[in-house]
Amino acid sequence: MTAAKIKTMTFEEAFQKLESIVETLEKGESSLEDSMKLFEEGMELSRFCASKLNDAEKKLLRLVKNDDKDFQLELME
Amino acid sequence: MSDTVFEDGVNSKEQPSEWRVYSVSEITREIKLHLENQFPGLWIEGEISNLKRHASGHLYFSLKDQDAQIACVMWRGRNASLRFQPQDGMKILALGDVTLYERQGKYQLDVAVLRPSGVGDLQMAFEALKKKLAAEGLFDANRKRPIPVFPERIGVVTSSTGAALQDIVSVTRRRFPSVQLILRPVKVQGPGAAEDIAEAIREFNAFRRVDVLIVGRGGGSMEDLWAFNEETVARAVSASGIPVISAVGHEIDFSICDFVADLRAPTPSAAAELAVPDRNELAQTLAAWKNQMARSLLERVRRPMDRIRVFQRSYAFRRPRDMIRERKLELDDLFRRCETLVDRKIQGFKADQNKHLEKLKALNPEAVLQRGYSITTRMRDGKVVNGCDDLSVDESVRIRFFRGSVKSRIETIESG
Repeated sequence: MTAAKIKTMTFEEAFQKLESIVETLEKGESSLEDSMKLFEEGMELSRFCASKLNDAEKKLLRLVKNDDKDFQLELME
Repeated sequence: MSDTVFEDGVNSKEQPSEWRVYSVSEITREIKLHLENQFPGLWIEGEISNLKRHASGHLYFSLKDQDAQIACVMWRGRNASLRFQPQDGMKILALGDVTLYERQGKYQLDVAVLRPSGVGDLQMAFEALKKKLAAEGLFDANRKRPIPVFPERIGVVTSSTGAALQDIVSVTRRRFPSVQLILRPVKVQGPGAAEDIAEAIREFNAFRRVDVLIVGRGGGSMEDLWAFNEETVARAVSASGIPVISAVGHEIDFSICDFVADLRAPTPSAAAELAVPDRNELAQTLAAWKNQMARSLLERVRRPMDRIRVFQRSYAFRRPRDMIRERKLELDDLFRRCETLVDRKIQGFKADQNKHLEKLKALNPEAVLQRGYSITTRMRDGKVVNGCDDLSVDESVRIRFFRGSVKSRIETIESG
């Protein structure tokens, strides 16, 4: 999986994919070439997840329903 | 003169003709209009008495207090959804319209909503609803939806002013600040609260773009928390497609909302802790995984090397080497034996040589010369003379002695 594709994943998807790579590498049954590829992919996913942890704090929003069944999000504070 | 106008109909000063004369229906109609306009919808608290349930299913009773009573009716359609059994002596709250029944000339409260108002009665209502919903399977474990591990957006149904919201916000900011919180503020107690809470849950489900809901409020009495025991809230939680974490009151408070929800949290703070992952823990996990991957890869690379070494040490691999070594030893042995043989042969030759040398020495002409013999050679061709027939008179010869040589001429040939 390319770095570009990883950037489109959610944190959850990336984290779970990383976990499965760690398990696969631990088993040690892959070929040497596959192991290296998995390692690289794993490191890329790890970088992505770590960066997500440092994302900025979000402001509290309020759900507001319009008359015509639409919803809006407004800043609370 | 009488005090009242009506004491003596015959002696009354007023005449009927001066007054508007109503029919019974007319006056009843007027009273009805006034009454129903004045008291369209209100909450009344009182004690039930004279409760009767007709075969029709309609409920008739009176609400009374120390000084007065009012007749009530709750139609079958409305009382069917009661989750408690009204009984004489029960203290209740009733929401209804005041109506006047002209045919009977009686006014009564047309009850829409009935709720127990004393704590003991609340407890009864709680037990009854709990039993009813449990029987429907609303509390079943297999109905519970899993709470997402990494929600990106969390919907919050609580009061905008209570401590519950503050707690949820501060816990979220501590654990994972980039999670988006979205509040739909509600009344959390009092009339209309249950309906408001249920509506909020439905609105989030229509909005859809949240991963989990936290529904709750801070601590309070059973009456304060009562909205979260209402059937309307229970049904909204049960119908929610978005997983719901219920966080009503303190640790010891259990509400119907708690039972129906996909997860119960003892407090609003605990709800946030259950919903929001801790980014420090996640960072540690990521670091551990990085190490693990590196170790696994190293191990994976090492393993072929180890296998090569093991192979090198194995018998199958050593066999050719051993064979070569054996052959080498054989060769060395052969060489040594060769050397020995050659030596011996050389010794042998040397011995023979010595023997021949001795023999030669004996045959040496010098030795013969030393004994007095001489070697005569013809001057003309150098031929060694070994007979007088080799010579003629006057021929020159050289005679070689042990010491030196002479040149001489033949004088006479003596006999042959």
